[in-house]
Amino acid sequence: MNEMAVAVLLLAPTIGGLAAWRLRGRTVELVTLAAYWVSAAAGVGLALAVAHSGRIVAWRGVVAIDALGAYVLVLTLIVAGLALWASPRYIHHELVDEHLRPKDEGRYYALLLGFIATLMAVPIFDNLGLLWVAIEATTIVSALLVGMNRTPDAIEAAWKYLILGTIGVGFALLATLLAYASSVHVMGESSDALNWTRLIAIAPSLNPNLLRLSFVFALAGYGTKAGLVPFHTWLPDAHSQAPSPVSALLSGVSIMVALYALVRFHLVATAGLGPGFSSTLLVIFGLLSMAVALPFMIRQEDLKRLLAYSSIEHMGLLVAGIGFGGPLALLGVALHMGLHAVTKATLFLSAGELVQRYGTRRLSAIRGTLAVAPVAGGALGGGILLLGGLPPSGIFVTEFAIVIGGATHGYGFAAAIAALLLASCFVALAVHGSRILWGHPGPLESLEAARGIGIGSGTALRLAGPLLAVAALGLWTPGPLATALDSIRAILGATRV
Amino acid sequence: MTITLLDAARVLDTCAAGVVLIGVLIAGTRSIGRAILLVAAQAFLLSATVACVGLATGDSHLLLGSVLTLASRGIAVPLALGHILRESPVRTERNPYLSPRLALIAAIVIVFVSAIAVDSSALSGSLGSAVEAPHALPASVAELLTGLMIVMTRRKGLSIVVGLLVFENGLALAAFSLTYGMPFVVELGATFDLLMVVVVVTVYARRMLTVFGSTSTDQMRNLRG
Repeated sequence: MNEMAVAVLLLAPTIGGLAAWRLRGRTVELVTLAAYWVSAAAGVGLALAVAHSGRIVAWRGVVAIDALGAYVLVLTLIVAGLALWASPRYIHHELVDEHLRPKDEGRYYALLLGFIATLMAVPIFDNLGLLWVAIEATTIVSALLVGMNRTPDAIEAAWKYLILGTIGVGFALLATLLAYASSVHVMGESSDALNWTRLIAIAPSLNPNLLRLSFVFALAGYGTKAGLVPFHTWLPDAHSQAPSPVSALLSGVSIMVALYALVRFHLVATAGLGPGFSSTLLVIFGLLSMAVALPFMIRQEDLKRLLAYSSIEHMGLLVAGIGFGGPLALLGVALHMGLHAVTKATLFLSAGELVQRYGTRRLSAIRGTLAVAPVAGGALGGGILLLGGLPPSGIFVTEFAIVIGGATHGYGFAAAIAALLLASCFVALAVHGSRILWGHPGPLESLEAARGIGIGSGTALRLAGPLLAVAALGLWTPGPLATALDSIRAILGATRV
Repeated sequence: MTITLLDAARVLDTCAAGVVLIGVLIAGTRSIGRAILLVAAQAFLLSATVACVGLATGDSHLLLGSVLTLASRGIAVPLALGHILRESPVRTERNPYLSPRLALIAAIVIVFVSAIAVDSSALSGSLGSAVEAPHALPASVAELLTGLMIVMTRRKGLSIVVGLLVFENGLALAAFSLTYGMPFVVELGATFDLLMVVVVVTVYARRMLTVFGSTSTDQMRNLRG
């Protein structure tokens, strides 16, 4: 049963994508939706099976999904659903404005489905080598999407992303090789010598030198894909130049999936070397990422780049939180992963809406939107406030948990720095957010264009619904989610509780 | 003729040296066409080495891996890049950040530093290799760094891709000297990914030709801050 579900999960979007390539209009939208829903059904089935039995294994041990993997899988499906929901409206507008050629429509949906398939492949593989193959595949497919509208800027962004992404992920391959080499003397050259489930089980007998080296390369390699400073330079370009639904997937899911890969290496390293080595590195690079992203957020002039730098900040916080360890911080990390994915994806979608109407990404033009475009503008401005951690929303609670958890788990100084940086980021985002909501409106012509936005109730629901959920989760966590988060926390903290 | 494990180790060491030497030559050339040929030559050497060790150990998946390397890195990728090169108006690296002569010297320095710094004896015994080839690991590190240097110091898109391939060949050499290759499914996936990267690179090189008139990355300096 699980074998079938895994196959359907990956094959439905792949086949749908191949079919979509040459189609147009309503047909391609229906094909895409059908592929998505079939895949989503399989994904939800798998997640329920994981919730029921803890961990499922399929395909002779090539696939192993635990609570963490299932969580990342479900989040991928949620964000993918939002991106697909927003796509027809977005693409239609791009076609009318002639930013895309008519034949790009089918290709867009085909590549989007391919991107979703590669993203979903990452959290299900037990084999670290295949996990690497899946991550590299996400870069390849999404690089084509980033440069979809062939402006010079989009081509520059896609080129940087492709080259830096490939090199970064090359280091991750080296990390994988070293992990393999560290285990071969114990396990021989069997293909499950690369399975993280096996590596963790035999971690104490792995070669410590190779394991240490392996984690360092994994940090650089998957850190590049996750947007950690100093490997982040491609990220603001790619996330801001991509079509907005693609930005939602890149910033919501793609970096989280890279973080997931890094976590697997962290868990193997902690099991083999004890808690000190990899945790310290994670805390250092996490804080560095937050500190470097902050000034770029304060001085930012471009709406989508603002959101991209905020992703670097949030990845930094998550990485630092994983480094802190301890039950409270890890619980915060678990929930924060989900909240950031959904919030950031929704924000890129409402940003896309406004950018298309205003015809610019400049923050100085997109101001006072509440008066002009209450739904899209309100979702964007309000969402940015939520993203900064407006109390008592969910993101405030998780950030609070991570900082307090770190402080009470032996990282007092680092937690204090993190708190300071979070507060500064909140101020920066609050300033930008309130200008977007209530600021003095920009030039008249863009205002008139924006006034014409007709937003149906479906679009309103899509833009505001996820944000309301994020806000509510600060006050109340439904029972099943709480159970899931608890098992994810247990996985993240396996060796130190 | 039978090949013993000792022969295989010697072949691996020699070929690793050959791959590194070619890497240094790539760093020192201005002509992009020659660089592509040299990268292909590296792949031929790699493939021959893998085949040799495969014969020595009687491991059939290594023979398959050798064919895979030859077909992808040795033939398909260079052909695709050569195709793009013929379409582009400028076929030499005109003013790289580091002149080829300096890059050549830098590459030689990289080789020496890697040879001294990477002490594979510290790791020996722990490695899964069936035969001891002490020079292959430092060689692969030198090759990786040379590739990175080429990527960072060139301006033309195609030269950067050549650097990327040098880096990838370094990875292949590292894979081979650390463990004698990855499990075959992983190798298959990695090769497929490499081919796809090259496909996407050619797509973008072509777009750069139409939008900028060349594959030079000079015009690509808009995105800042």
